[in-house]
Amino acid sequence: MFKIMIVEDDATIRTELKTLLEKYGYLCIAADDFTSVPSAVEAAAPHLVLLDINLPHFDGYHICREIRSRSQIPIIVVTSRNSDVDELMSMNLGADDFITKPYHTQILLARIAALLKRTYQTDHEAQLEHNGVLLSLCDSTIAANGQTAELTKNELKILHLLMQHKGAIQSRDELINALWQTDEFIDDNTLTVNINRLRKKLESIGVTDYLKTKRGMGYMV
Amino acid sequence: MKFRQYLKDHWILFLCIFFAMLLISCLLMIMRLSAEGILFINLLVWLFVLIAILIDFMRKKKFYDNVFFNLETLDKKYVLHELLDPPRFAEGDILCEVLYQCSKAMADEVAVYKNHSREYREYIETWVHEIKTPIASASLVYENNKTPVTQSMYEEILHIENFVEQSLYYARSNYVEKDYAIKACSLKEMVGTALKQHAKQLIENKTVIEMKQLDHTVFSDSKWVQFILGQLILNSVKYQSPRRPLRLAFTAEKQAQHIALHIRDNGIGIAKQDLGRVFEQGFTGENGRNFAKSTGMGLFICKKLCGKLGLSIALDSVQGEGVTVTITFPVGNMHLPED
Repeated sequence: MFKIMIVEDDATIRTELKTLLEKYGYLCIAADDFTSVPSAVEAAAPHLVLLDINLPHFDGYHICREIRSRSQIPIIVVTSRNSDVDELMSMNLGADDFITKPYHTQILLARIAALLKRTYQTDHEAQLEHNGVLLSLCDSTIAANGQTAELTKNELKILHLLMQHKGAIQSRDELINALWQTDEFIDDNTLTVNINRLRKKLESIGVTDYLKTKRGMGYMV
Repeated sequence: MKFRQYLKDHWILFLCIFFAMLLISCLLMIMRLSAEGILFINLLVWLFVLIAILIDFMRKKKFYDNVFFNLETLDKKYVLHELLDPPRFAEGDILCEVLYQCSKAMADEVAVYKNHSREYREYIETWVHEIKTPIASASLVYENNKTPVTQSMYEEILHIENFVEQSLYYARSNYVEKDYAIKACSLKEMVGTALKQHAKQLIENKTVIEMKQLDHTVFSDSKWVQFILGQLILNSVKYQSPRRPLRLAFTAEKQAQHIALHIRDNGIGIAKQDLGRVFEQGFTGENGRNFAKSTGMGLFICKKLCGKLGLSIALDSVQGEGVTVTITFPVGNMHLPED
């Protein structure tokens, strides 16, 4: 499980961000002492740092440079300033990505996932298993009962999301939004088609009634 | 300066010389000088007077003609006094001094307002950045506590966010050069980013997105273009038709001198008589009267930013069928913004 460190002085954002990231399967630590952030980062050894720019004591740029001088850990700068100068400053000081507030959570999550994937290139979560169905992300297949079926990009994304949140309902809008974040601008009907195909493929490998419809709410596995 | 004007200006002088010569002639007559002699003296005096007048007139004409020529050709007329040759007569010196004092006083006055407007813009920018933090935390609270109540509050937060964005870009629109970087940008990426930014509203409204022939590279500032696209997308959401699901089509076409990006929706459209004025500040038209949330600022800011970025924006619509907005990007990387 990836560990993310949140460096943010606004208490509400800090706790809510922590809740959100934990919901999406990340382990979170939040710094609340801003006098020695770089050493705290070093001590906690997270996989990624979310760094605010406007901080008490030292600003984010300083902290960014300090962290960079000690380690190569990925840093995403999160700030409310969105001028080119700020972006340039962050990049020059070694930040890997730059997101402006008020960020949309889906965008934030997508950026975090992309950066982690790029940095660690692990086969972490390359396979997910739930109720006897094995989803492998690298070759985009599902397997059950000794049979396999290939999934399209959209089907893979949908099933991946549902399996990540097994036992929880994902609304249709959330599924569409997640697909939009991967540049697949599908509409409501396309989602229905994709879900139906996914069900057929699951049936073809002998899994029935795996993907449940919660009327008026969404889907879950 | 006309000669007649000049003569009219000096009538007292001529009248005095005339009477002086009349008096002198009478005196000379009493002194029994011959008529030819008197005539000759008269002619001689008038000749010298004429020469003096001509020299003076030419000098003044040259100066004032120069003044008017500069006035006509100058773009910023208040720098006139800097461009005048030193006049070699008293009235000219006075004029120059007056001009200098006036333009200096005006420059001081303008500087005061420039300062005010800079301070105000800086305040707005800071304010916008400050308010983004509470907006971000409110959005996160919603994300972690999704209920119908927080859902509808989140929708209002998205509205607030858009108004805040608008005010930031409006405050910056007069100083684009301060935050402006022209790079090669992919049309597809910019449209994609704008769509992702407003994904929530679009998905909620069951929008069907079409993207065709967007594999073009244009030279512009992606941040500003994305903001403009965002405003257009939000307009399409706001003015969608209640009778059919919203459909947004993005298409691009390459022409000889430019690349045109069309954004077409199938909303309620704009009345014919309003079409010419949609880019005016505060203009809301017929749709504005039917929709309480129109501010008449969105398209105005878009037009203003497009002007600064050297893009052109045009809007066409058939009422009841939808709106097509076309943004035109010049081709070539040597492109510079206006001003």
